[in-house]
Amino acid sequence: MIVHKTMSLEDKLKILSAAARYDVSCTSSGVDRKGEKGTLGNAAACGICHSFAADGRCISLLKVLLSNECVFDCKYCMNRASNDIPRASFTPEELCSLTIQFYRRNYIEGLFLSSGVLGTPDHTMELFYQTLYMLRYQYQFNGYVHVKTIPGADGGLIRRLGYLADRMSVNLEISSQEGLKKLAPHKTHASILTPIRQIQNGILHDRLEGRRADAISGPINTIEQPVLSRRTEEEQAFLSQKASDIESKSDITLSGSATSHKNFSRQHIPAQSPLSANAPDRDALDQYDPYWQYLIRSAQTVRRDHPHFVPSGQSTQMIIGAVPESDYQLVHTAQALYQDYSLKRVFYSAYVPINEDSSLPSLDTKPPLLREHRLYQADWLLRFYGFQAGELLSADRPNFNLFIDPKCDWAVRHLELFPVEINTASYADLLRVPGIGVKSAKRIVYARKHNILDFNTLKKMGVVLKRAHYFITLNGRMMYPIKIDETFITHNLIQSEQKKNWQVAQDMTYQQLSLFDDFHLIDPGEIIHENAAL
Amino acid sequence: MKTPPSKNNAENIRTIFLCEDTPDGIFTAVYDAWASGLGHRKVALELDGCFNYSLFSRYISVSTDYEKSFKVARSLINKLSRQVFTMAYYASLSEAPEKADAIYRFLILAFHHGPAIISMLGLPEVQTVFALRRRVGNEAHYFREFIRFSDAGPDLLFGKIHPKSNVLPLVAPCFSDRMPSETWLLLDEKRNLAAFHPADQEWRLTSVSKSQLEALQEHTKSEDQYRSLWKVFHKTIAIKERMNPRCQKNQLPLWYRRNMTEFPD
Repeated sequence: MIVHKTMSLEDKLKILSAAARYDVSCTSSGVDRKGEKGTLGNAAACGICHSFAADGRCISLLKVLLSNECVFDCKYCMNRASNDIPRASFTPEELCSLTIQFYRRNYIEGLFLSSGVLGTPDHTMELFYQTLYMLRYQYQFNGYVHVKTIPGADGGLIRRLGYLADRMSVNLEISSQEGLKKLAPHKTHASILTPIRQIQNGILHDRLEGRRADAISGPINTIEQPVLSRRTEEEQAFLSQKASDIESKSDITLSGSATSHKNFSRQHIPAQSPLSANAPDRDALDQYDPYWQYLIRSAQTVRRDHPHFVPSGQSTQMIIGAVPESDYQLVHTAQALYQDYSLKRVFYSAYVPINEDSSLPSLDTKPPLLREHRLYQADWLLRFYGFQAGELLSADRPNFNLFIDPKCDWAVRHLELFPVEINTASYADLLRVPGIGVKSAKRIVYARKHNILDFNTLKKMGVVLKRAHYFITLNGRMMYPIKIDETFITHNLIQSEQKKNWQVAQDMTYQQLSLFDDFHLIDPGEIIHENAAL
Repeated sequence: MKTPPSKNNAENIRTIFLCEDTPDGIFTAVYDAWASGLGHRKVALELDGCFNYSLFSRYISVSTDYEKSFKVARSLINKLSRQVFTMAYYASLSEAPEKADAIYRFLILAFHHGPAIISMLGLPEVQTVFALRRRVGNEAHYFREFIRFSDAGPDLLFGKIHPKSNVLPLVAPCFSDRMPSETWLLLDEKRNLAAFHPADQEWRLTSVSKSQLEALQEHTKSEDQYRSLWKVFHKTIAIKERMNPRCQKNQLPLWYRRNMTEFPD
């Protein structure tokens, strides 16, 4: 291990940003915070990207490691202890001045702080705390901060850090227990899920009590304790119920609820009040429960002198393609994380081979970018379109079709539900039409109250007719007289998508999308996936 | 018995109000055209300086009157809604030459249908203003992301942009909230318009003289440490195996990169 004691800031930045780039989460969203005189920064719930790197990924935060000196030896990771690479560490002062100076010039929206395990998890977390404390109270930084939780760190440290950060995350990395054991010998699912559950409980208690509780010790005590927020008894009761529900789930596993294929999207807004104790499927409904969402959101507009615990929620990341997992497993894991652990986001990271190891795909494996793209599409369907993992994939069809996006794929397999009449269909039904997104579905619902819509108007509203026209009627008529036939529609959709897929796939492997069976130049890792998809 | 002079002619003649290309100019013209009582079908609004004379038309130059413009804005907000006002205001910042008349047609319908007009996308007049609004809003959002400031002397940040729409009045409030205790100057090169924000005070629109501009340019020329650090970061954060300039270009079109630190000129 090479450790340079005297290293310029530029060299450190080079090493520690290169080491952090494989973490995909780079969002600054989820919290609205006004600027304040005497401080620097605000936060916008929509999130702001400040630049785009040459790989097309957004740069929103200064994404760096505090240190790449790591005692863990996770096989897939660039910074594993057994790698012979230059090592460096930032001091808290260096991190603060970088953040402040970049922020003033409008380069970034805030700081994303991760780290290798420097000594022990607790020690690393203490360094995080020192840095964030300095940034918030010495440098008066009021912008966005995302901080990683190191698996195995003390719960008390997580609680204290949570009041300085906007978002916290623990990376799940591998969704199966066995895979994780093989690739990350120092981590277990329990050591990863424990902090996730702790943060979830912390968030819940914070929203429940509306104050900082016992979380902060040390110098922060000089700040006044904010008053109890005024919640109605009704809200209070709902939240208490919620808290006891979550706490009763003592098991920290990813049950994956693979058996619950209940289709709740049609009852988008529950008829029964979520407050009634026996409301069916309440956990499952939370994602789409406007009342719960409202309560959560009320904590998202925060002031600096009234800190909330992790106001913009927590996220995680899974690596795609390092071990042979099916999309079905991944999507179920994601759904379990959203439903059981109240995560805000699950990120997917196409595996980029950095290390050579017998348990890893070979070094010339191309990152499965199109597969990653399909998983993100499915993730959006879970979060915003009312889909369930079990509707998109099944045990017999465990992988996404690489030729066609998951929503189209679902629609052509459910032609009995189509065509949908635009002028009368419910919002939930509109959302399920390929080519209609959340915004355009809302616009349709409002606009049709006043005017009779035509196809041209739909186009101006942002509906992608290229995909949508197979599935909709306007005043009983389709745009073109077409056959409602699975093969016919699939064929046409694939043709219109071909160019786009080719572009995504370009960077993945030039053979991946080939229709010719006689070229077997695909890497072994890909073949498993490819065959299943075809 | 007297008949109004040349009544037949008057029926065929359109009156065209020529206005200044600013939100106030357009709102004043809306006021004048409405108050003229000639009938909505007989009047049209054009931007002064970018129109062609047409036959059977009478041209009236509108001089911008802040009181009239304020009255229009006030009645939009009070009688309709803030959203209707925002829609018209954003559209008035657009670069489209036909915006003045589009806003006028939209407002006629707005006063007819009430605040619900903003979601009545089935009407072509609403579609036009909706499209203008969306384009201006998107551009303003992009500039909020892609504006780059540089240190120009002690405690002064200087940034310049070259936007298509007049986004300065939309982005300045964002930066004033973001950096309330910094002194900064944001220049729209194309319109020679600047937003100046002294530390801990309100921002205001001003113009910048040539000599001032040269002095600013001189100060920002020297490479400061954080500019080069940012370039380093921007380069190393990209993953080699995922290189995708096409995607980068989609997300960050080339014309926005003109004044961005991390991209070479």
